[in-house]
Amino acid sequence: MVRLEPRRGRLIIHAFNRKFEWVIEPRYWRNPIIGVILWLAIPLIIIGISQIFPISVLSLISTLIFANILCMITIPLTVQVIGTGRVNFGPHFFAAIGGYTSALLSKNFGLSPIATLPASFAFGALIALFLSPITIISRGLYFVLITLLLPFILLEIAYWQSEIFGAETGIPGVPILLDTGNVFFDSVAYFYLSFVIVLLFLFFADRVLRSRYGFLMGVINEDEEVAESYGINTAKIKIPTFTLTSGAMAIAGWFIAHYYGSFTGPAWLQPSFLILILLTTTLGGKGAIYGVVLSAYVIASLREITRVTFGELSIVVLFIILLLLLYFLPEGFWGLYRKKRYREYFPSIKIRRG
Amino acid sequence: MLDVKNVKKRFGGIVAVDDVSIKIEKGEIVGLIGPNGAGKSTLINLVSGFYYPNEGRVVFGGEDITWKKPFYRAKKGIARTFQNPRLVGNMTALMNVLYAIICKNGGENLTLHEASAEAIYYLDLFGLLKRRDVLAKDLPIYEMRLLELSRALALKPKLLLIDEAMAGLNPAEAENVSKLITRIREEFDLTIIWVEHVLRILMRSVERVVAMHYGKIIADGTPQEVSRDQKVIEAYIGEEI
Ligand SMILES: Nc1ncnc2c1ncn2[C@@H]1O[C@H](COP(=O)(O)OP(=O)(O)O)[C@@H](O)[C@H]1O
Ligand SMILES: [Mg+2]
Repeated sequence: MVRLEPRRGRLIIHAFNRKFEWVIEPRYWRNPIIGVILWLAIPLIIIGISQIFPISVLSLISTLIFANILCMITIPLTVQVIGTGRVNFGPHFFAAIGGYTSALLSKNFGLSPIATLPASFAFGALIALFLSPITIISRGLYFVLITLLLPFILLEIAYWQSEIFGAETGIPGVPILLDTGNVFFDSVAYFYLSFVIVLLFLFFADRVLRSRYGFLMGVINEDEEVAESYGINTAKIKIPTFTLTSGAMAIAGWFIAHYYGSFTGPAWLQPSFLILILLTTTLGGKGAIYGVVLSAYVIASLREITRVTFGELSIVVLFIILLLLLYFLPEGFWGLYRKKRYREYFPSIKIRRG
Repeated sequence: MLDVKNVKKRFGGIVAVDDVSIKIEKGEIVGLIGPNGAGKSTLINLVSGFYYPNEGRVVFGGEDITWKKPFYRAKKGIARTFQNPRLVGNMTALMNVLYAIICKNGGENLTLHEASAEAIYYLDLFGLLKRRDVLAKDLPIYEMRLLELSRALALKPKLLLIDEAMAGLNPAEAENVSKLITRIREEFDLTIIWVEHVLRILMRSVERVVAMHYGKIIADGTPQEVSRDQKVIEAYIGEEI
């Protein structure tokens, strides 16, 4: 069935009648190895930081988990912006849909987190599918307004039907994902779990953006009419992109519900959360999924630092810092990286005249 | 090849294209002239699918495409340029053409090498080969126009719609563009609708001219006939035709 065939500098894997070839190049191993070591050492780093600064280990870890939640929303959002050519101002709406779906299904029907995961993805995607015509009929400010209204409508519904949605108290009693009794151990495990989800998101987003499909998405992002004049059926790309990425955002809601053990819509449907999401996306860099991860970590950390140092003024200070960052880094964090490697992104071709 | 039947396009109170019918045969090169706001660009948009008419039909190659989307028409062989060049500014000239070629092929059945070779061919045709690594937004308007033409040609169209290739060019550049268009038409066996504001530039390049004014066709004939037409002279009152 599976047979390994080591060759010089190559490993050939025969599996299921197919042949996979893996080129072994140790010179490319350094960065991944450093990355994995850093990744495994994160709890130690956190303990180290908490020894130096007066911040508790648990709040540090929950900051990192919050960063991962931001990533779970902003990575799909970034892909969505590329594939639809429009900025969705209601990403937290889809996250809340996922949260409510998970919370209601587990509370009312006793579904386990394993079952609510596909359910929240599917329900988020279904709602997005119903809404997806807006990516065709509206653009610019109209699209912004429509998507901006969605979270407010859901918020109103949550208050109106408060027996179902629990309004400000939320829906309690959602089964949590991990429970070993040791709080520190649990939060570290939550961190790794959310991080694995983020890595999966990154992996899928990267694959999609590098695929043939991603290529066409890039053209739509540049100019939809030009894309049509190239013979691209833009609707056939915009609708699946909008639907699937919104479903992915709902997974963030799933994680929130099963991490906190409850889902409180009014806490997540706030404009301030939307602003954090949009700032993360913008600071990451246009269409840069890796930049977005970095900026989610920077923003979550800054939020925590300002919270402990500035107290009531923290939000104001945070937004001022972020606006300054935005001013000095108009192309985001990814822009810094890209500037250094400018040539790479504009491949040129050498031609010899015959 | 193209049969536009009684199309009408309204924008609010304005009737931009009013009951226009034109028939264009395969291999023809037709100049479309008219003063500003005559509805020329709107007609191009109706044929390329960026607008849908309020009344009338558009038939291309025997098929009614009135309600077809732009991408469908592009696939059927209608390519266009835009009055204000619409290139991807942050990409090089080469990549602009390359993207068109790859997209046209659905991104399949074509290696990057083949596509690049093709892109280079189309750039060279318009003398843009030396400028292949310049970002599109850094090109002067003349080269932007040429790049738009080479991109449209790279889509291997049957019908090419050119919306004002000469606006903003000096006489030498305009002369060169008109030579190139004549050349590609012969070389690629194209049917061309060529919109210009003034007729003088088209005089030697086209065999037939259609003049529009306030959304209506006011003259249709050889360049000489149209330039002497009383209605056309009145439409261009005080202006050079
Ligand atoms: N998208 C639009 N919305 C409203 N009015 C338009 C639009 N496009 C064109 N028009 C109007 O239609 C008329 C014809 O415009 P156009 O076709 O661009 O003229 P031309 O290309 O011959 O200069 C003008 O009066 C213009 O204002
Ligand atoms: Mg015009």
